[in-house]
Amino acid sequence: MKNRNIYITAFFAFAFVLGIVTSCDKEIALSETLTPLQPASLDEDAANWTPIDANTITTEKIVNIVENSTPKVFNPPADITSDAYKAELATIKDIQSKLTKEQKDIIEYWSGGGVLRWNQILRGLVARFNLPPAPKADDTYPVPDAENPFADPNFPFANPPYAARAYSYVSVAQYEALKAAWHYMYQYDRPSPYKNDSGIQSLMPETDLPSYPSSDAVLSGVTAEMLKLLFPAAVEEITLKAAEQRNAALWSGKASTSDITAGLALGKSVAALFVTRARGDGMGAAGGNKALWQSLADGATAKGEIPWISLETPKRPPMLPVFGKVKAWAMTADQIAAGRPAPPPLTSSAEMKKEVDEVKWYADNLTRERLAIVHKWADGAGTYTPPGHWNDIAAEYIRDANYSEVRAARAFALLNMALHDAAVCCWETKFYYFNPRPSQMDASIKTGTGVPNFPAFTSGHSTFSGSAATVLSYLFPAHTDYFHGEASEASASRLYAGIHYRSDIEVGLQQGKNVGGFTVAFAQTDGAE
Amino acid sequence: MKKIYLLMLGLVPTLSFAQNLTDGLMMQKKSLCTGFMYMHDRWTDYWEGELKRENGNIGHVTTQSLTWVGTYGITNKVNVIAMVPYVKTKASQGTLSGMEGLQDLSLGVKYNFFGKKFEKSAFNTFAVLNFSTPLSDYTPDFYPLALGAHTTNLSYRLTAYYKIQQGWFVNASGAYTWRSNTTLDRPSYYDGNEFVMSDEVKMPNVFDVFVSMGYQKGPLQAELNYIQQNTLGGGDIRRQDMPFVSNRMNMIKTGALVMYYLPKPQGMAVRGSAHYTVAGRNAGQSTTLMAGVLYTIKFDKNQ
Repeated sequence: MKNRNIYITAFFAFAFVLGIVTSCDKEIALSETLTPLQPASLDEDAANWTPIDANTITTEKIVNIVENSTPKVFNPPADITSDAYKAELATIKDIQSKLTKEQKDIIEYWSGGGVLRWNQILRGLVARFNLPPAPKADDTYPVPDAENPFADPNFPFANPPYAARAYSYVSVAQYEALKAAWHYMYQYDRPSPYKNDSGIQSLMPETDLPSYPSSDAVLSGVTAEMLKLLFPAAVEEITLKAAEQRNAALWSGKASTSDITAGLALGKSVAALFVTRARGDGMGAAGGNKALWQSLADGATAKGEIPWISLETPKRPPMLPVFGKVKAWAMTADQIAAGRPAPPPLTSSAEMKKEVDEVKWYADNLTRERLAIVHKWADGAGTYTPPGHWNDIAAEYIRDANYSEVRAARAFALLNMALHDAAVCCWETKFYYFNPRPSQMDASIKTGTGVPNFPAFTSGHSTFSGSAATVLSYLFPAHTDYFHGEASEASASRLYAGIHYRSDIEVGLQQGKNVGGFTVAFAQTDGAE
Repeated sequence: MKKIYLLMLGLVPTLSFAQNLTDGLMMQKKSLCTGFMYMHDRWTDYWEGELKRENGNIGHVTTQSLTWVGTYGITNKVNVIAMVPYVKTKASQGTLSGMEGLQDLSLGVKYNFFGKKFEKSAFNTFAVLNFSTPLSDYTPDFYPLALGAHTTNLSYRLTAYYKIQQGWFVNASGAYTWRSNTTLDRPSYYDGNEFVMSDEVKMPNVFDVFVSMGYQKGPLQAELNYIQQNTLGGGDIRRQDMPFVSNRMNMIKTGALVMYYLPKPQGMAVRGSAHYTVAGRNAGQSTTLMAGVLYTIKFDKNQ
């Protein structure tokens, strides 16, 4: 009986210990936390920085739109001594006197910086919409329809080229809209509400940035309009987030209602210019059609090469075969063609055989260490894609640099224009050569991640990473070795995974660095340094 | 009640199930039952969320495992149960590489805390605490070919067992399993519901029910059983998406099991079982076959 008691005691003691362990919560540690942004410099002269695409927007062009539209986009601000403005201040005081926990959380969220927050939101949208359409019963694949975005499949399929373009449009439009905001803020020089009335608290870090039009509202307006174009099925959350950002500006005492109204209108006006550009940049035709897909295969066969075929079941048409003709940001079509790398080894050559054998070796010897590298960089379906990964990497550096919103927007714009141009150049190369993946050449090659549904040469990951590392090294030169180290690892991960040959990754990495050079050349003379 | 058996039910790669964690039998004091179980599990159709489909990019997914099992009687009322499985996965189509390696060590304590004998029958209840933890650095981020979720688990199980003299029995068991979070090799992920900027994945807990009825007398044990496992949270696999480690993986399986003690050598037993998944969510419709050899050693010769 005594023995029995010992066992009962031991049993319940064990249960108790387990109980303690299991009661601990499962909250996870989030990376990339943002603290309230206190910019190191206000960048008062940002309106004078060179526009990225002068055909789309210049200061003169947006000023003309703002002031010569009927009715005007917005009017000059009322005087801060006017009754209308005093009524706006009274509204803010009233709101601040009864802020809820939820409202304070929203202020806290957006005080981390609108550009950084929207970049995070955008990465989430890309991950969510990065799903290939499911095959139909007849083994064909439906094409997502921008005019019917909620249907199955949702529009868009945010694959890497689509995502690269989306990141670039959002970032470049934000940058140009903030420059336009800077132009008017310093022209009108109206201080924030908390500077005009001591009864209004500043619930975000105080700065000397003028507030008419509200830069937060400009950002909310331009971003929401771009996102509605790019991710129309997410319209509800996009508009809610944008409204939240404007509310945060109002509730925190940073902007008044008229600051926000003017800002929203300005942001939308800038977005309209980029929406026009996007509608005419060639994306609509990037998917090609049956005849074109066949002509790519025939072209490769005519050259004596084994043409790429889809390794999916049922066979899926290649991903955006005409994306190489989409308009780039820092490169002309001639520069893109001139920069196309020399051909990969012929599919029948001994050199190719050697490359296939090397891939086979990596596939058969996928160590846990290399698998971790493969998965770190896989960035396949359901993720924010390689361009998103480089935005993820950049975000911490941009945050830690304490950039003003306009300079943060410039950094993301430079990064993403290079990533978009990398996508264009890489896709132009891929569909020019149309060469097969390793598993097509040798079916015994089993892969550590999914085989992307487009030709091998050059590696997209390598091209993206080379371009991003080049731009980030320009922005944060102290970290050059780190960025290029990451780029090399991302590039090599595709060989380790068994989905790319050595020539794809090595030539692709160099191609990416060349592409990034075009953006850096632009940045070096844009007046921001 | 001397006889003991063990079974891996093939819920790999979700929850490792052992027959004698869920049954109503105990090893006697100072007796060890040990052996190896081989499992072959295969599915072609799977539930993508609640949509049943097949996928030409994976074909059949086959999971095989070889598990060392051991149960030791500390007393007649307290047993310790351990398992070490080596698991291998493979897809018959597509390019994805199969995985193999040591999966999770499982260590449990089973306690027969209540027993009542009637004239021609007996009723017993059991509590089981089970701990499991990964034995290797396998990745949880490669479903459906991952070896498992790479979590540390704690299960609390209660079992009731009623048997009549002629050998017929019914057994019912239920467990709540707490699972630790798991870690991916990538800095962010979309879990089917939301985008998360972390390499850490919050893992929902699991509830399971096991019911069996059958005959057990002399060298023979035969039963029919029903197993239900529900993940208490997690997202569905989206249309045409890959499965994710924290998906809401639910399943109902039915099956049969036979075990027989050979006349010679003394203490040697063979067992076999078959199970079929009749319903599921974010899981494969698998057929699981198992075969094993077990040997019982008595250290206390006085018994």
